[in-house]
Amino acid sequence: MNKKYEQLIADYLAGELDAAGKEELELLLAEGKIDFMEFRSIEATYEGLGDLSVPKPDAATSTRFYAMLDQETQKNTQAGLFERIYESFRKMISQLSVPKMAYAMALLIIGGFIGSWMNEDSNEIEKLSQEMQSLKEMMMVNMLEGSSAADRLKAVNISSELPNADLEAINALLFTLNNDPSVNVRVQTIEALKRWGDNERVRQGLVRSIATQESPIVLIELADAMTELEVRSSAREFEKVLQERELDYNVQQKLQSSIAVLM
Amino acid sequence: MNSNSDKALMLKVKKGELDKLGLLFERYHRGLYRYFYRMCRDKNTSEDLVQSVFERLLKYRQSYTGDGKFSTWLFSIARNQFNDHHRRSERIGNPVQFDDDRFEMPEGTTGPVHQAKEKKEILEEALYALPEDYREVIILSRYEGLRYNEIAEILESTEGAIKVKMFRAMKELKDIALSFEKEYNYE
Repeated sequence: MNKKYEQLIADYLAGELDAAGKEELELLLAEGKIDFMEFRSIEATYEGLGDLSVPKPDAATSTRFYAMLDQETQKNTQAGLFERIYESFRKMISQLSVPKMAYAMALLIIGGFIGSWMNEDSNEIEKLSQEMQSLKEMMMVNMLEGSSAADRLKAVNISSELPNADLEAINALLFTLNNDPSVNVRVQTIEALKRWGDNERVRQGLVRSIATQESPIVLIELADAMTELEVRSSAREFEKVLQERELDYNVQQKLQSSIAVLM
Repeated sequence: MNSNSDKALMLKVKKGELDKLGLLFERYHRGLYRYFYRMCRDKNTSEDLVQSVFERLLKYRQSYTGDGKFSTWLFSIARNQFNDHHRRSERIGNPVQFDDDRFEMPEGTTGPVHQAKEKKEILEEALYALPEDYREVIILSRYEGLRYNEIAEILESTEGAIKVKMFRAMKELKDIALSFEKEYNYE
């Protein structure tokens, strides 16, 4: 096969194909320049890869890492402290005479007071809010891996408190949406992802997820989300679902009305 | 720059705030483990390699410049670690090997109920039967969500060449899975 066609299909698989590329691919398939059966078969294999089990590390991996980090931090703190004390003494003694040193100290103290008075509040608040975000994110990613659905639901709710559309959080939520066994968790995940609906990765992830969802409730939730976010590209996915699956009458109606809005 | 972005955190680690490596570990250790496990299919080796990547990050933190994406840099380190391990294992006559229990179907799995499971198992075996360089591109793209230009950087190749490789890897995977399926149905 022509290398250009191969690249086009690779882009399609990874969701990196733009509108013009999609049109080109459809044309090549329609003209028979790319074998349709072969293309479908590769696409199905690519989708099938999503069903494979996900290898997970043991908790011991974390324990080992944090032990190593602790050891390194201690070494670093001790070394850093000695270096700093030595360096300050060396500089003071070599560069300053007594009056100069007194003058510099006085200036330093006054400056310090003024500086801390002016900056303390805003710096502290900013630092605290950053720390909180890190903690929340770390907690969320860990809880999403938990065995209880209640914990995973909590994790999804924590994500709604994150102020920014963080890539890690998005990836973790998309992974949950496609793999979590609980319908409630998946529905809640869609709600959480909707908040970042203007993020391209979220939009693409939601569209890709349509084909993987079996539950009618999740499909309806996705249809509502796609309509709300105006993700027109999802219409094709819903059409595929309607063609390929035997759905309940009400679900069919819902998907058809969503397609009509999205078209 | 977002103060909690990967890059910002690594720059803080470089400046001596070593505890920031904890968040990077939480973000990436699962992905790295998946990458190693799918490359060598050995649990202990994969866990050792994850640890050694973070040890390396600490050891060479001063050489971090902040250029390019952090994940690309991290996976480049991971890949070098894996290749070093591979070479070492081969030198001491203990090449990386897959587990021996591969491609064993459970008994009585002929009905339609088991079809999905069988397909899954066949595909998994087919993935491990792929040449290593093909498997690696699939792992990085399909499972770790890296873009082709990032994979190109990690593998020191061009974006176009990676796309071609990805297509060919998927085609071969499909063919191998098909042949395994036929083989299994004949048995």
